[in-house]
Amino acid sequence: MTTAQLVFLSAFTAVNVAIVASVVMVVREARRVDGGALWSRTLLWRLGRLPSERTEANRLAFYAHRVTGIAIFAFLALHIIDVSLFAISASIYDDVHDLYGTVIMRLFECGLLFALLFHALNGLRLIAIDAWDLGSAAATKILNVVVVVSLLATLAGSIVILRPVVAA
Amino acid sequence: MSTRTSATPATSTPRLSRVGQRGVYLTIRITGVMLAVLALGHYGLTHIVNDVAETGSTFVTRRWSSGLWIVWDALLLGSALLHAMAGMANVIRDHRPDARSAGRWIAIGAGGTIVLFIIGVATLTYSIIGTS
Repeated sequence: MTTAQLVFLSAFTAVNVAIVASVVMVVREARRVDGGALWSRTLLWRLGRLPSERTEANRLAFYAHRVTGIAIFAFLALHIIDVSLFAISASIYDDVHDLYGTVIMRLFECGLLFALLFHALNGLRLIAIDAWDLGSAAATKILNVVVVVSLLATLAGSIVILRPVVAA
Repeated sequence: MSTRTSATPATSTPRLSRVGQRGVYLTIRITGVMLAVLALGHYGLTHIVNDVAETGSTFVTRRWSSGLWIVWDALLLGSALLHAMAGMANVIRDHRPDARSAGRWIAIGAGGTIVLFIIGVATLTYSIIGTS
C-alpha cells in the first residue's frame, strides 16, 4: 500500500465516522426536541400510528434527508481532495483511485447511490410541496414513491456496481 | 415523550432576517434542482455507464478534453458546495440554539467549503492547462 492510499483510507475512515456521528447527532436531537428517537421504547406506539397521522413519515423523511445530506457532503469533501491529486500526479491519483474498485469502496458507493437518490428525489418532493401547495396526504403519497424508487434504483445500480467483484 | 422540551430556542431574537432566510432556501432549492441532474449524471457516468475501476487518470484526461464535461464539472463543483454550505448553515442553526455559537460554526463550515472550492477550481484549471 502506498502512502497516498494510506492517507486516503484514513480520510475515508474519517468520512464514515462523520456519517455515523451525524446519525447520532440527529437521533439525539430528535429525542430532545421532537418526541423521541426512532429506535426507542415508543417504537411500537409509533408503528401503531394510523395512516391519518401522516406527519410521522414526513418527520422521518426530514431526518433521513439531513443524514444523507451530511453523508454526501462528507464524501464530497474527500472526493474533491482525492481528485485534486490528478493535477499533482496522474500516478498518485491512479494509486488512490484503484481503491474505488475494491469491495469495501463499492459497497460504500452503493450506499452513496441510495443517499444521492433519496436526497435528490426527496428534495424535489419538498420543492413540489411548496411550488404547488400540496397537502400532507399528497406529500406522503409522493414520499412513498420517493422511497420505493430510491430503493429499486439502488438495487438495480448495486447489481451493476457489484457485478465485477462478484463475478471475479 | 417525557424528555420533550420547548421547541422555542433559548434566544428569541431572529438570528437571520426573513429575507436572509429566504435567500438561503432559494439557494438550496435552485442548486438542488441543478444537482439532481449534475450529481446523478456524474454518478451515473462514473459508476453505471462506466465501471468505476475504468475511470482512472486516462478516463479523466479524456473527459476533461471536452468543454462540455469541464463546464459540467465546474457547475457541479460550484452548485454542490453552495448547496452544502447553505444546507449546513441550516443544520447548524437547528442544532446550536445559541446564536453566537451557531455563527462561529457556520463561519468555520463556510471557510472549509471555500477551501474545498479553491482546491476544486485549482484542480480543474491545472488539469486543463496541463493537458492542452
